[in-house]
Amino acid sequence: MHRTPRANLYLGLVCLVFAVAIAGLWVPFDTDSGLLETVRRRVSIGDALAPTIAAFFIGFGGLLLMVSDRNANDQPALSAVHLRFIVALVALLVVVFSVMRWTGPLAVALVGPEEPYRILRDTAPWKWLGFAAGGVLLVTGLIAAIERRMSLRAVLIGLGVVLALIAVFDLPFDDLLLPPNGDV
Amino acid sequence: MGVLDYIWLGVLAVFQGPEIGLLGLALPVTPVMILGGFLLGIMVGATPGLAGPMAMAISLPILISTFGFNPDALLPVFGFLIGVMKGATVGGAVPAVLFNTPGTPDAFMTTLDGYPMTQRGQAKKALRVAHFSSASGDTFSDLVLIICAPFLAVLVEAYLDLPEKTALLILSLAFIASVIGGSVGKGLIATGLGLLAAYVGTGEDFYPRLSLGTEALAQGFPITTAVLGVLILGEVFKGLDDLWTERLTNQRYEGAAAHGDQTLSRGDLKRIFPFIGRSALIGTAIGALPGVGSTLAATLGYTVGRARHAKTRTDDTPAFGDGAMEGVAATEAANSSVSGANLIPVLSLGIPGNAAAVFLILAAESIGGFNPGPSVFKFSTDSVNPELVIAFGIFTAMFIANALNWTIGGVFMRSMGIMIRIPKHILLPSVLLLTLTAIYVQETRLSAIWFAIGFGVLGYVMRRLGISPLPFVIAFILGSNLEETARQAFAATGGDPFFLFSSLTASALMLLTLIVIVFSLRPKKEPTLT
Repeated sequence: MHRTPRANLYLGLVCLVFAVAIAGLWVPFDTDSGLLETVRRRVSIGDALAPTIAAFFIGFGGLLLMVSDRNANDQPALSAVHLRFIVALVALLVVVFSVMRWTGPLAVALVGPEEPYRILRDTAPWKWLGFAAGGVLLVTGLIAAIERRMSLRAVLIGLGVVLALIAVFDLPFDDLLLPPNGDV
Repeated sequence: MGVLDYIWLGVLAVFQGPEIGLLGLALPVTPVMILGGFLLGIMVGATPGLAGPMAMAISLPILISTFGFNPDALLPVFGFLIGVMKGATVGGAVPAVLFNTPGTPDAFMTTLDGYPMTQRGQAKKALRVAHFSSASGDTFSDLVLIICAPFLAVLVEAYLDLPEKTALLILSLAFIASVIGGSVGKGLIATGLGLLAAYVGTGEDFYPRLSLGTEALAQGFPITTAVLGVLILGEVFKGLDDLWTERLTNQRYEGAAAHGDQTLSRGDLKRIFPFIGRSALIGTAIGALPGVGSTLAATLGYTVGRARHAKTRTDDTPAFGDGAMEGVAATEAANSSVSGANLIPVLSLGIPGNAAAVFLILAAESIGGFNPGPSVFKFSTDSVNPELVIAFGIFTAMFIANALNWTIGGVFMRSMGIMIRIPKHILLPSVLLLTLTAIYVQETRLSAIWFAIGFGVLGYVMRRLGISPLPFVIAFILGSNLEETARQAFAATGGDPFFLFSSLTASALMLLTLIVIVFSLRPKKEPTLT
């Protein structure tokens, strides 16, 4: 039996609920002024109006999906496979940027000079350690995940990309900081 | 200062600007940057999985670091970005013709006749047709831009006051939401999300609105994180997911042996010229409308060309879809003539019409000293308007890029068949790291990376749900401008709640907004491309 796709209905419903939440909760509780403000008998537009209109766009769009596009033939949907992929990718990125953030300070603490990493964040080779470790992990990890195997080639490509980025963004410029050196 | 003086100053700004030393010669930097951008654009366009906007996004922080935040940086940076934009359009035809794989989405229709020509041993001829048609369409479109943009801007400044400008912005957003992606509902959702993101951490009150009391949100979302996140990271995430789910296949790309004459004869030009002319008109008209992309232009150009060809062709010439050079010409002229015309709404109204225009606005906002919009075209006679000089500098840069396209573009393009051999599963992780690094060097804080990743996830989800990310980006860029103009219009009309209907023009623009939405809601006939 042919089942009618429901993706637009669910998407429309989610958007409608989100829009109501924005206009009814987020905007009133997280803005200082209302839709319109009266100061010394002069009426002006308040900070709440623009986001409320944005919420109206989202809600009206959701309503249209539920009403006029409900039975559309083409209704792309998010599958469990898609969700698994994006969760895994974000998890990898969290690991990558944690490695990037802490490799430099850790290396300095273990084998570096007396100064803290913050002082050395613009000094070679310390400034490259975090970026190199995280960058190689990101590129190599993704290539290995797609190829379903770890290979020396993937590691070398990761290393090559990192070196190329250091050559492009760091070596020619004194005023640019590679990640994570602006935050440490 | 007359009009001709401004044009001349624009030309001089390109050729007498800062210089660069190359091979012992001191060359003006802007033409060199146009050349660099153009060659990079062809390479990027010829590489499936990459696109012009990606190259523009990644180049921007490097360009800004190289040239700094001063008005002298504007033309070299714009020149490079314009070069990329034009090069990528030409380059997209290479893998479409040689390997049946469009390098850019708008080159899909080129595969329909380009690849059959390759299979018949006419690959070089097909590439020559694609290049000639692309360069012709592009040049025509630039001429229309140069003629129309100043006139439109002058008209807007002369006849539109604050309420009308607000109504015009609303009409533009409604138009973009309605025409992109084929679903008005989804377009409105993307527009609403873009506006919402633009309003986080901003406003006129002491407390930054919608910041949830956090320091990170109080500064708002940097424009780079939203634009690069949704447009570039979202696309990279989707590409990685496709590779992950489909599993790798060792695709082999083999060329076909050449047969027959590969040059473009006078007779060939006579055959394709009417198709180029029609498609250039279609592409330019479509390009002038904000948000309507080159893919639609290519489809329309091809469809109109096919109908015409079916009536006029003789039995010994192939039909559209069977390797007709007219098919390649119709598609390439149409998609290339979008790029120049797409800058009409950017330069005259400050409304970006496509992803490439978004990056031009991003460059202008990052560097400062140039605010695309009607005020650029103020022909002040008593003093020099520097923005107008820059505008004519941009037009000069476009003509230099066209000259490069006509002279070396074809040769360089025909040598780019090799780019398809770069494996996508190596390219995409590299682009991901490159984009995140580019965002960090501009913003210098890890929170910007997390914002960008968040917007990347949003861009990925939007693509999976069939929602175009472009209305989001355009709404994000126009959001603060819309609010500011509305505030001023409201104040100027003495707090009139119906200020959007305070004049005939404003009412007409609002009525047009309603018509656009209602018209787009009508059920559409499925396009048939056989």
